[in-house]
Amino acid sequence: MFFVLSLTHQVTLHPSYFGRNMHELVTGKLLKDVEGTCTGRYFIITIMDTVDISEGRILPGSGLAEFTVHYRAVVWRPFKGETVDAIVTSVNAVGFFADAGPLPLFVSSHLIPTDIKFDPNATPPQFTNNEDSVIEVGTHVRVKLIGTRAEVGGMYAIASIREDYLGSPANALPDVYKAGHEQLD
Amino acid sequence: MASLSEDGSPPGSPASDGSGTMPSPGRVDGSPAIARRQSEDGVDAGNDDEDEEPEEEGEEIAPREDDDDEEDEDDEEEEITGHRRKRRRERRNQFLDVEAEVDEDEDENEDDEDELNELKDNFIADTHPDDLADLPVGGQTDDRRHRELDRRREMEASMDAEKQAEILRQRYARNRTGRALGDSAVVPKRLLLPSVDDPSIWAVRCKEGKEREAVFAIMKRIEERMGTKEELAITSAFERGGTQSTMKGFIYVEAQRQADIMVALTDLMNVYPRTKMMLVEIKEMPDLLRVTKTPALEPGAYVRLKRPPKYAGDLAQVIDVTDTGLELRVRFVPRLDYGLHEDVNAPTDAFGAKRKRPVAGPRPPQRLFSEVEARKRHSKLLGGGTAGAKSWNYAGDEYVNGYCEKEVKLQTLIVKDVNPTLEEVTRFASGAEDGTENLDLNALAASLKASTANASYLPGDIIEVYEGEQKGVMGKAISVQADIVTMAVSEGDLKGQTIEVPVKGLRKRFRNGDHVKVIGGSRFRDEVGMVVKISEDRVTLLSDHGNTEITVFSKDLREASDSGGSGSLGKFELWDLVQLDPSTVACIVKVDRESLVVLDQNNQTRTVMPSQISNKLEKRRHAVATDRNGNEIRLDETVKENGGEARSGKIIHIHRAYLFLRNPSQNENAGVFVTRTTAVSSVAAKGAVTASTGPDLTSMNPAMKRNPATGGDMPPPKSFGRDRSIGQTVTIRKGPYKGLLGIVKEANETDARVELHTKNKTVNISKNDLAFKDKLTGQEFNPNSRGGFGGGRGGATPRGRGGLGSATPGGWDGGRTPGAGGGVERTPAWGARTPAVANGGRTPAWKSSGDNAGGRTPGWADGSRTVNPYDGSRTSYGGGNRTPAWSSGAKTPAYGMSDAFAAGSKTPGYGGGSNDTWGAKTPAYQQPTSNDNWGSNQQQSNNGWGAGSYDAPTPGVNMSAPTPAAMNAPTPGAYSAPTPAPYNAPTPAAAPTPAPGWGGGGGGGWGAPTPQAMDAPTPGAQQGYYAAPTPGAYGAMPETPAANWQDDNQPRYTDN
Repeated sequence: MFFVLSLTHQVTLHPSYFGRNMHELVTGKLLKDVEGTCTGRYFIITIMDTVDISEGRILPGSGLAEFTVHYRAVVWRPFKGETVDAIVTSVNAVGFFADAGPLPLFVSSHLIPTDIKFDPNATPPQFTNNEDSVIEVGTHVRVKLIGTRAEVGGMYAIASIREDYLGSPANALPDVYKAGHEQLD
Repeated sequence: MASLSEDGSPPGSPASDGSGTMPSPGRVDGSPAIARRQSEDGVDAGNDDEDEEPEEEGEEIAPREDDDDEEDEDDEEEEITGHRRKRRRERRNQFLDVEAEVDEDEDENEDDEDELNELKDNFIADTHPDDLADLPVGGQTDDRRHRELDRRREMEASMDAEKQAEILRQRYARNRTGRALGDSAVVPKRLLLPSVDDPSIWAVRCKEGKEREAVFAIMKRIEERMGTKEELAITSAFERGGTQSTMKGFIYVEAQRQADIMVALTDLMNVYPRTKMMLVEIKEMPDLLRVTKTPALEPGAYVRLKRPPKYAGDLAQVIDVTDTGLELRVRFVPRLDYGLHEDVNAPTDAFGAKRKRPVAGPRPPQRLFSEVEARKRHSKLLGGGTAGAKSWNYAGDEYVNGYCEKEVKLQTLIVKDVNPTLEEVTRFASGAEDGTENLDLNALAASLKASTANASYLPGDIIEVYEGEQKGVMGKAISVQADIVTMAVSEGDLKGQTIEVPVKGLRKRFRNGDHVKVIGGSRFRDEVGMVVKISEDRVTLLSDHGNTEITVFSKDLREASDSGGSGSLGKFELWDLVQLDPSTVACIVKVDRESLVVLDQNNQTRTVMPSQISNKLEKRRHAVATDRNGNEIRLDETVKENGGEARSGKIIHIHRAYLFLRNPSQNENAGVFVTRTTAVSSVAAKGAVTASTGPDLTSMNPAMKRNPATGGDMPPPKSFGRDRSIGQTVTIRKGPYKGLLGIVKEANETDARVELHTKNKTVNISKNDLAFKDKLTGQEFNPNSRGGFGGGRGGATPRGRGGLGSATPGGWDGGRTPGAGGGVERTPAWGARTPAVANGGRTPAWKSSGDNAGGRTPGWADGSRTVNPYDGSRTSYGGGNRTPAWSSGAKTPAYGMSDAFAAGSKTPGYGGGSNDTWGAKTPAYQQPTSNDNWGSNQQQSNNGWGAGSYDAPTPGVNMSAPTPAAMNAPTPGAYSAPTPAPYNAPTPAAAPTPAPGWGGGGGGGWGAPTPQAMDAPTPGAQQGYYAAPTPGAYGAMPETPAANWQDDNQPRYTDN
C-alpha cells in the first residue's frame, strides 16, 4: 500500500560544496541517497518535497557538514494479504518468482491452484492448466502476498495465486470483464 | 495405580510385574498388605449382600470389595452415600438390583427423604420398614406408624436448629469414620500403606539377571512345603529386575522375621541370603511396587535398536508383536557390506568357520538389501526366501523388500523417546512396489506424540490444542511448567481466558507466510524459511537459502526473528570455496548440521564432512580471468555462458580456468554452477567496476562541474596522417603475449595490431602495452615523443657515420631538451629558448661533445659537427616546439606568427648562437661535412638537408605540426644562405626579438641570419602544420627530401 510519510534523513556534504547553492546540493544528495531505497519495511518510491533543512553542523574530524532534512516521501509498504500485480521472472518446478516493482516474490507450487501444473517440456518452462492460464517468464500475474521478509537493502515476499481472481490475466479478471473483452474482440 | 513397568514389559503379561507368591495372578499391582490379607481370609466379595453387619464391620472387609476398580477420590462422598443407599435398597428388595442402580441418579432429590429415614433409623428401633410391610395390616404397623408420625412431629416441633445440626454432625461424623476406615468401594491408599505391624520387606542379594528365576524357585518351594510343618513363613516375594532397573540384583521378600527368610531361601540357586540383607524402610515399601507402564507397541510403531552394536540407535519399525508382548518382529534398514571388509585371513576354528572379529572402522551405511551385491561375494550365504521373490535369506537374516526383518526381544529395543526424524521414517515409506509412498503417518504420529513431552514450548509460542475437550482452542503460551502449558486464549469463546493444558494435546501453530526456523532434531535444523503449506502438524517451508522446500513437524519449528540461519558449519560457510584434494576445488552449496554439500569443479555434487576438506580457499578479491573474447572478468561481474544452456550468473569464485557462478533464480545447488572461463562472455559494461575509496572529490566538487567543457587534462596532441607506430618493431609489455616481439601492422588511436615474430599470428594489443624498439639497435623509444624519436634517430645517425657512439647523443638529444622545454607550460617561447640555451643547445651538442669523450666528440672533431649543431638546434626546437604543440590554443607561440617566429628564429639561431663559433660554422661546415659524410648517400642539393633531412625526419616522424615547421625552418635557413634571402624581408620583424636573447648568447653575427632562416619556415608553418609544406615552402631546393619524408620515414631510416 502506498503512503505519504514524513521522514528525516541526515545528509553529509563535502566541504567543497559549501557555498551559495548548498541547499540545492543537500536536496540533490537526499534524492540520490534515499529515493528508491528500502528500509526493510517499505520502499521509498519518491520524495515529494523537503520540509525543512537544518543548519549544517561540521562533523569533527572529517570536515563534512551534516544536515538534518525533513522531507515527505511516497512509500510503498507491502502487507501480508495485499494483492499486487507482478511480472514473472523465473519459473521452476517448485514455483515461480516474480517482481512486483521493487519487491521480488515467490509463489510456491503449493500456493498455485492444483489444476495449474508445471510443464517442464514447454519452452520456456511454464505453469499451465492447459487452457487459458499460462504462467511463464514475462507473464503478468496478480498475486496475494502471504508473507514478507526484510532483507538487507530489500524485501522478499511469498505470495499465493490460489484464490479467485488471482494468477494470470485470464484468471485475474472477473467474468464480467472477460465477457466485456469478448465483446470487444 | 499406575503404569509403566521398569522392566519394559507390557501390562497384562503375567511376568511383566514383579512376580511373586501371590496365588491370584490377576492381582499384580496390589500392595504387599493386600496380598497378605487376601491370603489370610479368602472371603468372596459376593458375601456382601447378605452381610447384615453394622458398617463398622464392613470396614474390615473393605479390601475385598475393591477388586481393582479404581474410583475417583473426588467422588468419594457421593459414592459413600450411594453405596449406603444401595445396600439399604438391597435390603428392601434384594431381587431388583437394577432399580437400585438406576435410582442412584436421583440421589440429590432424595436427600431429604434420606435424611428422614436416617433420623428414623437412628431414633426408632430397628425394625425395617420393609419388614413392617410384611406384617399383617393393622396391629403393630398401625401402632407403629402412628407413633412414628407423632414422634416425627414432636421432634420437628421441638428440635431447634442447633440440635438438628448436632444430629447432622453426629450422623456425618459417624459416616466420616466409616469412610475413613474404608467403605467398600474406595479405600484411601494411605490407609492401605504398610505400618509397623505389617511384615517387613527385606532385599536379598541375588545373581543379576536371575531375579525372576529365584522368585519362581521360591514359589515352587512354597508349594512343595505347603501343609507340611516346614511351611515357609514368608508372606511374599517379588523382584524388580530388568536391565535398566535400579533394583536389579535383588529379590524382595516379605516376612515377619528375618529368620523366616533365611529358612525360606537357604539352598536356593542364585540367591544369597547370607550376604547382608537390607531391610526396606516402611515408607519405601510402596515404591518397590510402583508400576511404570510400557507404551503399548503396535505394529507400525517405531522403535530403536540397541543390539547388535552395528545397528545401535537405528530406527526400526514394529511389524508384529507376540501375544506376550515380549518379543517383536521388527524391520529395519540393513547395514551390510556384503563381505567387502571381510578379513580373509581371519583364523578359522575347528569347524572351518571364521572366528568373528569385531569389524574395525565405521559401520556400513544404511542401505536396502541388494541381492546383486550379496551374490558377488556371498552367494553361498544367500538363499531364496519363503515369502516370494522379494524375500531373501542372507547370512542368517531374513530380508524382505530390502529391509531386514528380525525377531527381537523387547529388552533390546528402545521404545521410549524414539523421536524418529522424518528422514529416517521416509526410508520406511518408500517400500511400496509401485514406488508410491505409503508413509504411515498415524504410526509416526503415535511414535512422535510420545516424545512431544520433549517438545520445547516456550512462552510466546502460538499454540493450538488439537485434542481433548479444548480442541481447537488457540492461544499464546504464557508459561510452561513440566508438561503443563498455561496459555492465553486468543480466539474463540474462551478468548481472554487463561487455561492450562497438557503438552501432549498441543501443537504449535503457524500460518502461511510465517517466517520460521527449524529447531528440532531434524537434519534441517537451523534452516530458516517461510511457511508455504501446512497440513496437520506437518509444515512445508521454503528455505531462505537456496530456494528449497523442506517439510518438518510443527513441533520442530519456531517463529524466527533473525533473517537467516547461520549457514555455516565450523569455519565453512555457504558459498565458500574449499579444496577437497590437490586437484579438486569445490564450492559449498549447502550446509547441513554435520555435513556439507559441495559442487566441485567438474560440476559434480557431493556430500562431504568437514573433515574431508583439506582447506578453505580464501576469496581472492582481485582475481582476474579472461572470458572467451579476451575481456577481463572479475568477481561479482555477471557473465553469460556461450552455448550450452546459456546460463548467466554472477561470479563468486575464480579458480584457475574455472568459474563458480551463482544465479539466484536457479534453485539447484543453491543457484551455483561451474563453468570454464573460456565458455563465458562478460555481459557487464567494461570499466563499470571502479572501486572507489573515499568520496570522489572530482564528482563532489562543484567547481569542477561548473564548466565541464574545459575539464580534465589537456588532450594529447593530435596526430595526423599515418600512424607512426605502424611498421615499428615492438615488444609487448603486458598480457598473455608479454615479452613477444612483433611488428605493428595496423593501428588506431589506442590499439595496434601486432604481427608476432614467434607465431604467425596477429593480435590486438593496446598501444600502452607496447614498447617500441628500434629495429636495428633494439633500443626502446617512444614514437610519440619527438625527443625520444630524435634520440632514436640520433642513435641511428651516428651509426651511419660510423664515428659516433650511438647511445650517448641519442640519449642526450632526446631526453633532456624536451623534458626541460615541455615541462613549462606557459612559456613556450621562453621555454623554447631557455632549454635551448641552457640544455638543448648546449648540453647535447656542447657538453657531450666538448666535455666528454662521449660519442659526440669525435663527431665534432671529425667535422660531423654539422650534425651536432643540428641536433642541438633540433633539440632545442624539439623543446621549444613541443610546448606549443601540446598546448593547443593561445599557447602555441611557436605557431603563432610572431611568437613562433621568435621562438623559431631563435632556436636555430640559437643552435648556432649557442655554439658561437660553431653556430657560424654549422652552416658553413655543413656543406662540407655533410658532403663528406653524406655525399655518397645524398644529393648535393640535399647536403644541407643531409643534416636537414635528419631534422626533417623528426618532424616527419613526430607528425606534429610545430616541430616540422620549426625544424624545417632553421635547417634550410641555416643552410642556404641564399635561400633565406627571399625570406629575409619578413625576418627583420621577427629578428629583434631573438636578437636580445642571442645577444646574451653572444652569437650576434649569427643572430641575424638565423632568424631570417627561421622566418622563412614559419610562414611555411603557417600555411600548414605539416612538415611537408614547410620545407616545400622553403625550398625549391629541398623539396625532394621533404617529399621523401613525407612519404615515409621508415624506409629512409632503414636505408641509412
